[in-house]
This record gives sequence, C-alpha cells and structure tokens, in this order.
Amino acid sequence: MENHFPPGDLPLAPKILTDRTLAVKVIGVGGAGTNAVDRLKMESLDRLQLAAIDTDHQALSASPLQEKIVIGSAVTHGLSAGGDPALGHDAAEGDTEKIAAAVKGCDLVFLIAGLGGGTGGGAAPVVAKLAAQAGALVIAFCPLPFSFEGGRRLKQADESLRAIRQTCDAVIPLPNDALLQAAAPGETTLNAFARADEWIGRAIKGVWAMLFRTGLINVDFASLSSVFPSRGGKTLFGLGSGEGADPAAAALESLRLCPLLATAESAKKVDRLLVHLTGGADLTMERVNGIMTALTAQFGRDAHVIMGAVIDEALPGRVEIVVLGTSEQGATSRRPLSAQRPRPAPAATATTGGSTPPVSATTAAKPAQDEFAFGGDTASRGYFDNTERNLFEGQDLDVPTWQRQGLKIVL
Amino acid sequence: MLFRNKLVGAVEIGTSKVTVIVGQFARGRSLSLVGLGECPSRGVVKGSVTDFKAASDCVHHALELAEHSAGARIDEVHLAQSGAHLDGFQNEAEVRVSAADNMVSALDMDNVCRLAKSKQLPEGRTVIHHLRRPFRLDGRLVPDPEHLDGRRREVGYWTVHGDESRVADHIHVIRGFNVRVEELILSSLASGEAMTTPDDRQHGALVLDIGAGTTDFVLYRDGCALLTGVVPVGGQHFTNDLSLGLRLNNQDQAEKLKQHHGSAVAVSRDRADKVWLNGNLALGDRQLPRAAIEQITAARTRELFEVVRKKLGANYEPERIAAGVILTGGASRLAAVTDAAAQVFDVPARLGEPPAWVGDHLRAPGYSTALGLLLHNLGTPPEGSAAARRPTAGGLFRKLFSVRS
Repeated sequence: MENHFPPGDLPLAPKILTDRTLAVKVIGVGGAGTNAVDRLKMESLDRLQLAAIDTDHQALSASPLQEKIVIGSAVTHGLSAGGDPALGHDAAEGDTEKIAAAVKGCDLVFLIAGLGGGTGGGAAPVVAKLAAQAGALVIAFCPLPFSFEGGRRLKQADESLRAIRQTCDAVIPLPNDALLQAAAPGETTLNAFARADEWIGRAIKGVWAMLFRTGLINVDFASLSSVFPSRGGKTLFGLGSGEGADPAAAALESLRLCPLLATAESAKKVDRLLVHLTGGADLTMERVNGIMTALTAQFGRDAHVIMGAVIDEALPGRVEIVVLGTSEQGATSRRPLSAQRPRPAPAATATTGGSTPPVSATTAAKPAQDEFAFGGDTASRGYFDNTERNLFEGQDLDVPTWQRQGLKIVL
Repeated sequence: MLFRNKLVGAVEIGTSKVTVIVGQFARGRSLSLVGLGECPSRGVVKGSVTDFKAASDCVHHALELAEHSAGARIDEVHLAQSGAHLDGFQNEAEVRVSAADNMVSALDMDNVCRLAKSKQLPEGRTVIHHLRRPFRLDGRLVPDPEHLDGRRREVGYWTVHGDESRVADHIHVIRGFNVRVEELILSSLASGEAMTTPDDRQHGALVLDIGAGTTDFVLYRDGCALLTGVVPVGGQHFTNDLSLGLRLNNQDQAEKLKQHHGSAVAVSRDRADKVWLNGNLALGDRQLPRAAIEQITAARTRELFEVVRKKLGANYEPERIAAGVILTGGASRLAAVTDAAAQVFDVPARLGEPPAWVGDHLRAPGYSTALGLLLHNLGTPPEGSAAARRPTAGGLFRKLFSVRS
C-alpha cells in the first residue's frame, strides 16, 4: 500500500493488515434506514453487503434486499415499534443473536438509522454495540427528523443521538432540515425524503470508493480507522462536487456551501481529517495540491491529515470531495494511549505546500481545556469573540442563529 | 429643599450609546424635560462595562453635554441597570391578620412585606429591586388591603438582584463625575413605565426593550410588574449574524444592511432580488440577495422572542396579556418586528409610544429607557388620570424601590 506516512506513525492494529478481503456492510435500521439502503442497492456497488433490520415485518418484506432481519417478534409481534424508542431497544435486546450473526466478521459497518422513531432510535445503539463487539468499525449516519414532524420526534431524536454516540466510532447526524435548504420551494415530501437519502448514498459511495477503488493515492482501511481513535467525539462530514471549467474550484465552493458543514454541530477545526477526492482522468496533481491546501486551511492546519485520490474514468471534468474529520472533544478514548502520543507534523500537510507550523503536542493531551473551544468555534462568534459565552439552554446565543439552526444562506 | 426645583439626570449606559436626559422636577410633582446629552458608548459590551476608563470618558462626556443643554448642574442621577448578570426570583409570604376584628392594619402590611423580602441572597449579589405583586386577602386580589376585613394576607415579590461588582462599576462611573446616584432602576422597568399606561399594566402587558446589546423585558399583570428579565441579545447580534452570514468583513456594512433591508419576518422568496452592499457602485461593491438578509434577521428575531417566552415560562399566559406585546428600544426599528412578536407571543403586538407630552426629539424608541427613569420616580403618572388612589401606593412604591447601593 502506498502511504504518505511512515509506518510507525499510524496506530495500525496488526490484525487489519492481513491480506483477507475487507468486509464492509451497510445496515439499515428502522424504516428510514431500510429505505436508504434500498436506494443504495440501485447503485450496485460491488463488494458492499447490504442488510436491513426492522421491527415491521410488512415494511421489510417490501424491501428488495437479500438480508432482512425482523427483530423483536416477541415484543412487537412483527408490527412496528410505533415510534417508541424503548420498544425498539427492547426488540433489539431480545434478538441479539440474530443481529450478532449479521455483523459477524465485518470490518466496517455503516449504520443508517433515522432517529426520532422507535426502531431507528431504539435499536440502532444496540446494533452498533454488537457490531463494535464483533470488532467492526462502526460509522452511523443518522438522519434527524424534519421540523415539521413535530417537537416530540425531535426530542426523541436528540436522546437517541446521545445514546448512539456512546457506541459508535463516528456518528454523522444529517439534519433533514439542513439538507432541505438546497431544495427548491414547492418540493414534495417524497422528494424531500429522497433527497435526504441521496446524501447518505453519496457519503457511503464516497467512503466505498475510497476503500475499494485504486487510484492516485490510496486510502486503506487502517488509515480510515485511524481517523476514529475514540468514541463519542463529534464528527465533521461534508461533501462537495464540481464540474465545468475549473472543477476543483467549483467542488471547493460546493463543499463550502455544504449544509452539513453549516451546522454548529460540526466543528470547523478538527484533530484528524480524512479527505478523499474522486476525479476524471484529467485530475492533476496540481489540482489535488490546490484542493488540499484550501482544505487544511479551512479545517485546521494542525490536523492529522489523511488523503486519498481516485481516478474514475466515468467522471471526466468532474471532481468530488468527501471530508471526514474527528475531534477529541467529548470523546472517550478507546484505543491504547500510545495511539495518541505526540506526532511530528504529518507529511501530508507538508506536501501540500502549506507553511504548516510543526505540531507541538496533540490536542488529545489537554481535552479539558479544549472542551469549550469546540462547537463554539471562536471564529463563528465574530464581534463577540472575546466576550463571555452567552449560554441559554446549552446554546451560545452569540453564535449566529442561522448557524445554530443550520439555515443555508444562499449568496 | 422641598420647594426647590430639582434637576435629575436619567442616565442609561447602553451598549451602543450613552443617553442622559435631564428632567426638572418642580415640587416633586411635575416634570419637564430640559436637557439631553448623548454620545456613542465605548467599553460597554452586552450591557456591562468592560473597559472602565473608556466607559467613564464617554459617560462623562454625555453628562457634560446634558448639563450644557440644560444650562445647569445636575443634582442627582437615576441610573438604568441592565446586563446578563441580573437575575430574579420570586418569594411569597403570608400572615394572619392580627387584629381581633380582622381589620388589616399597617403593621400587618409591614410584617408580610418584610417576611416576603427576607430571603437571603447568594454571596456577592445585591438587590436592585423588590417588585411587589398585588396583595391577596383571603385569596382575593386587592390593590390595597389596609382597613379591609380579612383573615389571611398574602404577598409575593419578584426580587431582582445583580452582581455587586458590576453594579458598583456602574455607580462608580457616575460618581467619577461627582454627582450622586439617587436611584438604580432596572432598564426593563423604566422602559415599561414609559411605554405603558396604567390601564395597559392593569390589563396585562409585556414590554420588550430591544437594545443594542441586551433585550430587557417586563411582564405586567394586575397593574404590577410580575416578572422582569434580561436576555443578553440585541441589535449587535443581528449585525454580527449578518456580517458572518454574508461574509462581510465590516460591521458597519452589516449594520447598514440591517437597517435598510433587514426584516423580522422573511418575506422575500425571490432569489434574484438583490440589493447593493454599499450602493455607491465603487470598487468592492457587490450584490447580495435580499432573501438571505431577511432569512438571517428573521431567524434571530424569532429566536430572541422564543428565548424571552421560555424565560417567562408558565407566567406567560396569552389570555392574560390583553394589552399585548409592546416593543421598544433601538433595535425595534427592524421592519415587521411586530409581526414576528405577534407570531411568537400569540397576542397582538405594537410599537411602544411614549406619553403624548414628550417632545418629538425624544420620541425615538432608543430613548424609552431614559425617559422611563424619570417617569418612574414621578410617582404619579403624568396624565393625572386614574391617580386618585395612587398617593398611598406611590408612597409605598417609592419606599420599596429605594436605592441599595
């Protein structure tokens, strides 16, 4: 494997370096999750296993997937969890063997669970826990309900999100509201949900391409897992694509406007950043360099950057960017401490031509101090930068409302 | 002394400007406004003094201007209090009426008031106001129970307290000018006083003074202030939101955009509807979509009102706010702000109007706090109507609001 890092630099677990094929599975939990996985099936991505877990027998039987698991027959008798996360949780706890069998031998599990409902919110944390016990890296995509679905669902979603953060390596909340910002006025509800699924599809496709396509600069599974050294931290995730005369610039612009990055949830500065570029045969090293310089400037020069680039002949004149970043704050360390020892400046940032100052110490060493810097990224307070924080119900009122509510401002 | 005309300076050390209005009290009864001094403030953020020297300089300058325009020395100062450090709690007390004939005596009144106010404050806090809620006699609401017949007397207080050192900072700024601070009055109460009539307060009203750095609110019911509060969000937050959202590097540009194109309700849906940033077609001028500006200001307005409503909690009952929401303060000039308030508070909303006798140059919403500082002390409302019963109540009022500096 070609890699930009000296081997000693990365916290590689020896067992993932064996030459067996990588098992990657996408599991949809609950109604929304199953729908999203169904949609992925149409993309026909090879070497990607798909599965669905639901309490609702009827909904599951309509799915075109091969691997379908009905859980909680004893609790719900094959009917749905009826929007009650406690019921969803019980259903999953009652069928742990079935779920454990489904996640057995997986290296990477993508969990898609719409939060706010019963099965998605209740069962997903259990599935994540079992997958993690089976040794898999678990990345969850969690669509959050639209505001029009009502306050109760939003509240449930919030609680479920907290639960799922405890058991997954990375949780990427996708507030449906934020995704809707890009939608044209007058869009139907059906389209709105389809659009939300499309984002998950793009995300998973991006990571899939990263792992299974060979290209300019490979990202292997070990590098991917090194981005997630701990659990419960916040995850930054963004997608951008561009075409035209200068696809690289267009992609960067589209990434900048990505609604997922506009929320205050996502930190603007991260400790570890994984960047994956997909482009046509005309993707030059020069463009890659330009994009990387811009991204490291935006997301933190001190970050540990892992990058990958893949050539897709089917995408002439087009560039797609996937960024995944994690931060130490709020995280509980999972891997041994040696994984977080101070590192020299990552070689990748140096090659991008930026005048990166050497990293003196990892931010991991002082999580207590950074707790406040995170989320309330000082840059977003503008005029109120150096004033006391203005907290009301856990939100800093000095941070612009549009940023906290994830409104997309079209300029 | 009693018959001498007294010159009182009403000082509001605001986040954007310092206002001093000079009022002349003749025999403690009639008030005429004789002077005005104002200057942009420095060293004040979100209603609190952060740079003592800078704040002192501009307050003293404003006081000088005011004295100059009044043509005389100011005798004493009424000072407005705002800022995030203010907090309040409610406390209630009840006593059995002591007299055998169940007639409420003045002693009973004193007793119950003292009991209700006796709550200890945390370290480092000082009381700004004890706001008395209406008396209840055997559960029934009575404005003044003395000499009435009953068994059980109850009274509730809304006690407003603030950080000792912050309050002291404000007072020291004024003392530096060698003038006495006679009264400390909550900004929200002052604005409320200026913007409502006794009738409004009787029917129930919510007054919101949206300043540059803070939003002060007071909820009136049954003629008394029931609850007050401060949200440290004001006009500057709107400006800051705009400058970050529209990626402007200049707060002045954002401020101008807010004043000209901001709206409390997002109306514009047309993405092609654009406005010029500077409007001078010079280098650096560019077009910005009106929808984006309105989206940003509308989100902030809505959130601000929702925060106020949450802070009022169960005390806010739309059906008991018959006089509606009354908006004032510099940032209330935002377009459609009453529509947004009506939506969030579920009652009609209007912009506050000072009493009719106030001159044109002091009618702007930014002056309502300073005006209220003078009115508050007047005891009797200037209209003179509905004042028949007020002398007693006014006297008590005055006692309760005495300075605790």
